[in-house]
Amino acid sequence: MSNPDTRSAAPARTGVRTLRHELPVTLGVIAAAGALIAVFSGDSFTLNILATAFLFAGLATAWNIIGGLGGQFSLGHSVFFAIGAFTVANIYLKLQISPWLAIVPAAVFSALLGALISWPVFRLRGPFFAIATMAMTEVLLSLSLYFDTFTGGSRGISIPFRLGVQNMIFRDRMSYALLMLGFLAICLLVMAAVTRSRLGYALQAVRDNEDAALAAGIDVLRTKLTGMAISAALTGVGGVLYMMYVRVADPPTLFSLFDIGVKIALIALIGGIGTVYGPLLGALLIVPLENYLRAELGGSVPGANLIVLGVVLMLTALFLRHGVMGALRAGALRLFGARA
Amino acid sequence: MAEFLNILAIGLLLGGIYALVSVGLNLIFGVIRVVNFAQGEFVMLGMYGAFAAQTALRLDPYLAPVLVVPALFLLGCAVYWVLLRPLQGEPMMQVFATFGLLMVLENSVLAVTRGVSFSVGSVLSDTTIAIGPVQMPLARIIVLAAATVVAAGLGWWLRATMPGKAIRAVAQDRKAARLMGIPVERMYMVTFGVGAALAGLAGCLLSPLYSMSPQIGMNFIMPAFAVVVLGGLGSVRGAYVGGFIVGLTEALAGFYLDPALKHAVLFMVFIAVLIIRPSGLFGVAGAEEVGLREQS
Repeated sequence: MSNPDTRSAAPARTGVRTLRHELPVTLGVIAAAGALIAVFSGDSFTLNILATAFLFAGLATAWNIIGGLGGQFSLGHSVFFAIGAFTVANIYLKLQISPWLAIVPAAVFSALLGALISWPVFRLRGPFFAIATMAMTEVLLSLSLYFDTFTGGSRGISIPFRLGVQNMIFRDRMSYALLMLGFLAICLLVMAAVTRSRLGYALQAVRDNEDAALAAGIDVLRTKLTGMAISAALTGVGGVLYMMYVRVADPPTLFSLFDIGVKIALIALIGGIGTVYGPLLGALLIVPLENYLRAELGGSVPGANLIVLGVVLMLTALFLRHGVMGALRAGALRLFGARA
Repeated sequence: MAEFLNILAIGLLLGGIYALVSVGLNLIFGVIRVVNFAQGEFVMLGMYGAFAAQTALRLDPYLAPVLVVPALFLLGCAVYWVLLRPLQGEPMMQVFATFGLLMVLENSVLAVTRGVSFSVGSVLSDTTIAIGPVQMPLARIIVLAAATVVAAGLGWWLRATMPGKAIRAVAQDRKAARLMGIPVERMYMVTFGVGAALAGLAGCLLSPLYSMSPQIGMNFIMPAFAVVVLGGLGSVRGAYVGGFIVGLTEALAGFYLDPALKHAVLFMVFIAVLIIRPSGLFGVAGAEEVGLREQS
């Protein structure tokens, strides 16, 4: 973090890609996602799916900051998601403050909690880190069911339907799709900025070899904690938007291991772990697929959507370790030869 | 005093359940270094196996292991060969793969049973045994006894027999074991099969105690991870003792604090141990690292 020699040397090297190189691509991808909304603007069914897909794309992008770049495979991001949801519910219902303003405290709480609980857990590596984050989910789920003044306990929290922009409650699906697009855009921009920053390179160094990163003068713990705090903050914001989108949620839903914690990791994995745009691709594949399966088979074969997701997860782990983005890149390399 | 003894008994009997469920997980963990998230689903399959054996053949759940244990051994071998063998040295992909397996097994059972919960009865179901002021259901005492026998038997098997020695050799040093002529891949497969078979045994013996649902595997896997980490990776004795620690913690926290908080306390203890002594109480120090280091 504080090595002046390398800092001055970095821009002189031509090979290092900075945010300036990345930004046009990022904006182009966001515009393309916006074009999707424009194409389906009359179709509220598809807009609903797009809204969910963009929300999960944003969440998976946020996960990717610590999970992909940093290599810390958290299965407990539902904790930050739930913190965001409870924060907005309490601020909006008890203090009558607009949900828009709740975004800031939600992000701050999530970031603080992310750093606080990760601080001890970051001593663990690989699968042990994943198990500990799962256990953390269990702890916070039990606590949130117990302290029900903030969470509504097992009854959950419901937010009354009071139409209005200031309440973040809309009648048309279009507005929600645009809201989630905004969230996705922020996540993508943050991810692009982090990837091309000193922090991003430090995270990747930690992921690839923690001991070597330490020897190279990287403050490993601080790098991981910063990555986790950013990732958690964005996930908390996602929780805010989700709460205002569905307006009814209970702790088991928000802390769900399958529907939140594992699913966002799965989306990032399928899209391409560590890539900037992979999670968006993964969400655009998985969310519509799951919606389709639930609608087609949900009634006749309960759990069919999760069976398919499980199979997809196993196949991806076996054959598509670098996700769709990785496969595309490998294909492009084979077609056009190595890029300069 | 009687109250305290009762809670102690509840904790110990619960510990027996956790110990029985964890022995197989720890074997897989310790030898192959695979974190098997689907282990709870093997227990679940064991329970449904006992139910199927009772419905189809009128078999008492305590006799069901005759059929269920070999079936799960074969399933375990197949899972290892197809899913985990190609993923050696990829710990995170193993997590995803076994998690995918968990989702498939759980929801396949859900799809087949359509969410109807079953229960099996045994001739022994309603028997209780009184020791002083403490009443204990016989079914739970059987689980405790089985956990003790399995832990002792598995310990002896690993110590004294040739396959057991081969498994320990593979766990200690894969390369040296291969040079000694041990078929490493086959030992891994057998180990995973034995681990799954033990889960199946646990499922049969637990089936009279629980009403079955496809999601029940999740109730076992998290405490089982806690047991394995507390007791020590790859230590059979550790899994046995760890089971009682977890069982007693859960019973005491449930009674003296609040039943709603027992899992919070349990997992906080778990996380604390994970951080302070990652190799567990009976584990070899550094064992948790070896699995993550590239073994070539």
